[in-house]
Amino acid sequence: MTPHEVVERASGAGPLPPSLLVRGLSKSFGPTRALADVDLRVDAGTVHALLGENGSGKSTLIKTLSGYHHPDPGGSVEVGGQPLQAGVASSAYDLGCRFVHQDLGLVDTCSVADNVALTAGFPTRCGAVRRKALRRRTEEALQRLGLALDPDTLVGGLAAAERTGVAVARALADADRTSVRLLVLDEPTATLPDTEVKQLLAVVRAVAASGVGVLYVTHHLDEVFEVADDVSVLRDGRKVVTTKARALTRRELVEHLVGGELEEVSAASGSLPTAHAAPVLRVQDLSAGPLVTANFTVRPGEVVGVAGLTGSGRETLLPAIFGAIPRSSGRVQIDDVILAPGRPDRAIAAGLTLLPADRVRLGGVMSMSARENLTLPALRALWRAPRLRRRLEVAQARTWFERLDVRPRGAVDAPLGSFSGGNQQKVLFGKWLRCAPRVLLLDEPTQGVDIGAKAEIHRQILSAVETGAAAVVSSSDYDELVALCRRVMVLRDGRFVAELSNGALTVAEVAREALGSEDRAA
Amino acid sequence: MSASPTTRPRPGLGFDRFSGLYLWALIIIVFGIWVPDLFLTMGTLHSVAAQQAIAAIVALAVLVPLAAGAYDLSVGATVNLATIIVTVLQADKGWSMWPAIGVTVVACFVIGAVNGFVVVVLRVNSFIATLGAASIIAALQSIVSGQRQPLPPTSRAWSDLTQREVLGFQIVVLYMLVVAIILWLVLSQTPVGRYIYAVGGNAEAARLSGVRTGTWTWFSLTTSATLCGIAGVLYASLSGPSLTFGGALLLPAFAAVFLGSTQLHPGRFNVWGTLIALYVLATGIKGLQLVTGVQWLADLFNGVAVITAVAFAVWRQRKARSRRDAAASQRSKGTGSAEMDVGGVTPASGQQPAAVR
Repeated sequence: MTPHEVVERASGAGPLPPSLLVRGLSKSFGPTRALADVDLRVDAGTVHALLGENGSGKSTLIKTLSGYHHPDPGGSVEVGGQPLQAGVASSAYDLGCRFVHQDLGLVDTCSVADNVALTAGFPTRCGAVRRKALRRRTEEALQRLGLALDPDTLVGGLAAAERTGVAVARALADADRTSVRLLVLDEPTATLPDTEVKQLLAVVRAVAASGVGVLYVTHHLDEVFEVADDVSVLRDGRKVVTTKARALTRRELVEHLVGGELEEVSAASGSLPTAHAAPVLRVQDLSAGPLVTANFTVRPGEVVGVAGLTGSGRETLLPAIFGAIPRSSGRVQIDDVILAPGRPDRAIAAGLTLLPADRVRLGGVMSMSARENLTLPALRALWRAPRLRRRLEVAQARTWFERLDVRPRGAVDAPLGSFSGGNQQKVLFGKWLRCAPRVLLLDEPTQGVDIGAKAEIHRQILSAVETGAAAVVSSSDYDELVALCRRVMVLRDGRFVAELSNGALTVAEVAREALGSEDRAA
Repeated sequence: MSASPTTRPRPGLGFDRFSGLYLWALIIIVFGIWVPDLFLTMGTLHSVAAQQAIAAIVALAVLVPLAAGAYDLSVGATVNLATIIVTVLQADKGWSMWPAIGVTVVACFVIGAVNGFVVVVLRVNSFIATLGAASIIAALQSIVSGQRQPLPPTSRAWSDLTQREVLGFQIVVLYMLVVAIILWLVLSQTPVGRYIYAVGGNAEAARLSGVRTGTWTWFSLTTSATLCGIAGVLYASLSGPSLTFGGALLLPAFAAVFLGSTQLHPGRFNVWGTLIALYVLATGIKGLQLVTGVQWLADLFNGVAVITAVAFAVWRQRKARSRRDAAASQRSKGTGSAEMDVGGVTPASGQQPAAVR
């Protein structure tokens, strides 16, 4: 489509132009296409749910709308009939786009009124804040969303759904609030308890009723049927369907999300021997945060997968086993050693290692060199008083770079932060392999990693397991779990609801169990 | 394929890493031409070296906790207390020198241990904890001294401790070098140093790598206070007890450490960088004082230096981060970390570093 046609169509639209009109939007990162030719239309006063698995291009789409990413030439984005200037952050705001991200960006130590006024501006007289006017204005903004909150309450003391409501109120509060055309909610319910979701959905409906178009990004299918007018599904950067929510069954939605053609059998892991040895890792009655209870054992030579949606307890399982976060109860045992809670150093000594999901914040010390990161957990082997054996250390680092194919190959002394994500992850993976662990806990081991690095990390996991270690892989990438694991345990609402293996272990089945689709395939 | 230059930013002439040394040479040349008969003398060399030796030990005391990510603002007060304790024990209580020194250093060790306890166990921010500790230590000093300047001990051994010369330099310069070499060994050549830098670099990542972060934070604060004890003893022997000397050292020490973190191993607080920075500053101040004769130059210089050094370090980090973001956007997916989660238009999205584009 030529730009001319786009303009013609837009000007030919009715009196109420759609809140958002995306046509032929693509975004490539180097050779990979994160978004391919996506069309999307959000009408004013409707809720449009956007679904997609991790890596389907949802966040790229939102970041393109917000002006963070510069899209490939050819596509167009219009907000309320006005063209969006690609890659300009202020353009989206000026046209009336408002974003509420999963991290709400509220100041906990300030009151509700102050938080709202941070965007809308404080009403003042002679430079002093007019407290009563501020209070009244905030109350009005909250009431429009059906929220009965005291504007003077501190945000830190609110329930999760109320906080999200305040963030929405703030996004909509404006000196001239008729200018808001589109509200983008990025997984607002991911961390909400079930009881509070309803409250938030009421807020979303209230927003739409005021004539604003809502783009609602979520993982939870129930919400789609409860709140959305239209549904679009993204898969592998392409939009696979847009339809009325009423016209859709839950089962159809799951199939759209997962894709029929992805039913592959487990590949490499099929040949792995399941040892008859005693379990190397025993987890009993473990509970921590959203994780209600977990019981399982892992034998040497096994790769066990853990699947589950955000908020299902999947994110807390591995850190709680390792001792990275406190656990409220339960017992973790490596061979004969019972691990003390909250003591990663003892866990490592017992042969347990954790590759955290958040590489930058928890995974590595970015200011230290790759070599120093590699050797950090097991420095004693390099220590011969009074000095560390630098030459041996460099040689070991080079060997690991070679073995894991870290690039650039010679840069063992460059700061870890200067490597690309995939290579950082390889270094951190090597750091744990170097400890010759009994059990590898791998949390999202290939998140944000390119395809080459992903394959390499998978190879290394399997080869580590072949030599008698065990691995537990927690991942939101079901393809990865099915390819790597002989059995996958699925968490939903803090409990294991299924254990899939052999023929039952398919991407679609894992997704169905994780989503909690009732009418599941036989 | 060889190492790509984009991932290893190393300028060819090392102006970045060795800028302090170049600057030092420049200062010496300028003042050498300007006031050759005053500046280019062995006397100037010896006096700058000796005057700054104790300041250097205090700077090293500040360096260790900073490497572990903790501030120690109580160094000045601890030095003062040490000068008083070691003097009172000898002059008023009649102790002999070595027991007095031993007790002084142990007392300072205890101060460090308490600082460490407050920071590690009570989880008080180190900045606040040591600021409070400095005030408490000042009160202790008043109690010990009875609020009067004690008379210096008269024993020969006491003055011989520091008032001797080795190769024309006062022996304190040698003591300082010994302390520096030991610290350098510990920080850059042993696992202890690695752990300390790891805690300073990313405490949570270090903890998840099995590093006992609390232990090493405690250790760094204790080392700092113990070094202050040694500095105090040396100062008392060299110049007599002082109620105020330590306080004046705090800012120059921080200036040297921060400026030093831009040298030799940029981005890392390091021993030799700190000493270079300290002596570059001291040489410049000395030269200007010889030319102008005014005393306030040192205050001005040190204040400007600490702000410049930190501004420079922040600028470097920002540059490194924007390079990392550029590398990140080459990848197909986001990292999934909060850092990549770019805010749209909400004001608080400014808290996310990537939004500051």
